[in-house]
Amino acid sequence: MKNNVKIARVQVNLTQQQLAEKIGVTRQTISLIEKGKYNPTLKLCLSICDVVQKSLDELFWVDKEERTK
Amino acid sequence: MMKKITDERLKLKNLENIRVLFMVQTIGIIGILGYDLVTKGMGSMTDNPVWYVLILTGVVSAYLSMSISVDHESSKNSPKKGLIISIVVSTFIAIGFGVLVTFTGDLGAGILVGGIVFVCFLASYLYLYYLRTKRQN
Repeated sequence: MKNNVKIARVQVNLTQQQLAEKIGVTRQTISLIEKGKYNPTLKLCLSICDVVQKSLDELFWVDKEERTK
Repeated sequence: MMKKITDERLKLKNLENIRVLFMVQTIGIIGILGYDLVTKGMGSMTDNPVWYVLILTGVVSAYLSMSISVDHESSKNSPKKGLIISIVVSTFIAIGFGVLVTFTGDLGAGILVGGIVFVCFLASYLYLYYLRTKRQN
């Protein structure tokens, strides 16, 4: 599913590797989340939110029409 | 030293891999038992220790899937009513088995087989009852 993780990560000047290390996952997982190919658990979503200092809404909210795409 | 996997995606992948391994093992076990059955007959197959592994896995899998089916079923009936009906039905089935064995063998064997059948049914129904009451809370 589409999300704004990549934009938020770039805004706080983190690489995928750095973000991954901060939340204890692998770089591949971050890459897959950004591409919308992996659905993270709520726990992981919240960890990402903490690191990039954004709310869940800002990072993961997608309009209903967008979700089916 | 091996590092502990903290990545949730990899943990999930690991579980999926275990599923594949389980499938391979089960196919292997069935293959070994099938070979025994064809080459040496039924008696030899059931003598094989692997046979007990297969049966045990079946029983464990049945008990594990009970917790899934309890969540899946609709909760209109009370667990107590279900338990009483199950016990009555299993009593009849156990008596049926007992009578059949008594006709072919002796009374002692009939009572033993009937008792074993009853206890087997009872254990699973009590577990189901426990799961259902736990879910209601």
